[in-house]
Amino acid sequence: MNELLERFKQAIIAGDADASAGLAEEIRAAAEAKPDDIFEYLSAAMDVVGGKYETGEYFIPEMLRSAEAVEKAMAVLEPYMFEHKHEQSGVVVMGTVKGDIHNIGKNIIVSALRADGYEVHDLGVNVSTDKFIDKIREVEPDLLMLSAFTTSTKPALIDIIRRLEEEGLRDRVKVISGGASHSAELAREVGVDGFASDVKSSLAVTRRLMGR
Amino acid sequence: MNSRERVLAVLAGRTPDTVPIIPVLDGYYAPRVIDRPNDECFLDGACMAEALAAAFDRFGYDGALAEMGLGSEPNVLGCPVEVEGHDVPLVVGTVVDEPADIDRIGVPDPWADGKMEPVERLVELVGSRGVVLGSVRSPFEYAATVRGLYEFMTDFYRDPRFVQELIEAVKPATVAVGRALAAAGADAIVLKDSFASCSMISPEHYLEFAWPAEAEAIGELKSFAPVILHICRNSMPILAEMARTGADALEIDSPVDLARAREAAGSGVILKGNIDAAEVIGKGTAADVAAAVKEAMEAARGAGGFILSTGDSIPVFAPEENIKALVEAGREYGKYEN
Repeated sequence: MNELLERFKQAIIAGDADASAGLAEEIRAAAEAKPDDIFEYLSAAMDVVGGKYETGEYFIPEMLRSAEAVEKAMAVLEPYMFEHKHEQSGVVVMGTVKGDIHNIGKNIIVSALRADGYEVHDLGVNVSTDKFIDKIREVEPDLLMLSAFTTSTKPALIDIIRRLEEEGLRDRVKVISGGASHSAELAREVGVDGFASDVKSSLAVTRRLMGR
Repeated sequence: MNSRERVLAVLAGRTPDTVPIIPVLDGYYAPRVIDRPNDECFLDGACMAEALAAAFDRFGYDGALAEMGLGSEPNVLGCPVEVEGHDVPLVVGTVVDEPADIDRIGVPDPWADGKMEPVERLVELVGSRGVVLGSVRSPFEYAATVRGLYEFMTDFYRDPRFVQELIEAVKPATVAVGRALAAAGADAIVLKDSFASCSMISPEHYLEFAWPAEAEAIGELKSFAPVILHICRNSMPILAEMARTGADALEIDSPVDLARAREAAGSGVILKGNIDAAEVIGKGTAADVAAAVKEAMEAARGAGGFILSTGDSIPVFAPEENIKALVEAGREYGKYEN
């Protein structure tokens, strides 16, 4: 199984979506891999891709090619992984905040969370504070995950936290902000409960806040 | 020399009295100078022209950057743009979702809906004293805009031919907007090709996809006005190719070393740059700004022509004293010996 997962990892690094989807089919058919094993190889692949970007070997198109390979594979693996979690992990409302239309990172995290057993309500990109509040009232999630790629979205994050407080909802939902440039400092400034910058940290912070 | 004469001298290849200063102070920052919200100014062209002119007067630099009306230029190709509630207009939809949609792209009329009125108004307000620069997206950047940046860049590997065809299809838009800007009174055209930066794509992809249409567009735009090619963040690996497009000036950003840029670009092209807009102007002190200006002047004031500028748009949170310091230090360190 490890050899199959290793090939899966290499297909993601190479950005070969056909190969990653095909290998995902094989992983599903073999039915031996545990969801956490799949996450481990997936995260390792994304780490290599990120490293190649940092060293100037990869650029945005190459990162996107790998992201597509992840998305295609997760479309195959999500039901398998969800099934093997046995129990639902929690309910999540997620979206990219107003002023930001980045969706690649968010889509990968949505997929990863669904695979990790969460019921995820994805509101899309450029989501207004009102839309977040309405959805929170409707589905009463355990977690609110705010994707914000650009640093100029800080006021939008602050606005959402302020509205949650005004509406008396702040104590009823844990809030996580996420994006490549997110840090503990930004999280403290905007007043969220946790932050994440990639798949690995997203799974870690959601599991921590859910007490899993 | 007044501001206008100073900039025109450099654009004509002559040595001015002092290095001209034209920071990238656009619609992102200007509205706060007249205490108006950004979205209001982007929706009201007269308000934006007034804000840009007020910034020009308050800080005393040599040229103003025009903004087109109705939330800037992406919507000339039909992209839905959301303005209300944003500091800068946000493109919220695409026009081309598959190759067949290329047929939807026509040649836009940049004068429709009064889009050029703010440019004409800014020319009226500052044109006799300073220059006015109008900016337009490159074919590569327009293609990314109508397709959606992520999809566009994923297409590099998925369907490179589609990428080429799309860039060809939007090229007339770049030329039409450039022609209109010059007709509205802009003294020079800034061709924005930010997505072609080596902070985004490889030098190989720049040469394959962005450069050919960029060079062709510059060839046409130069018949209307001098052209300043803007590629922000890291453009170091492609500077020689940027110079080879025939652009009159290259606008370069802070990650690029000015002395090395001059070496790579040669002496036949003006350099415009490259004070760090976010970190130095946005977050630094006036002393940091002065030190950065001094360093830039020492590196680039020599042969070939230099315009002191920020590398990219001045952020909305930048303290006023830092923009003042940019101009003051620029005057102090920019003088040419006669």
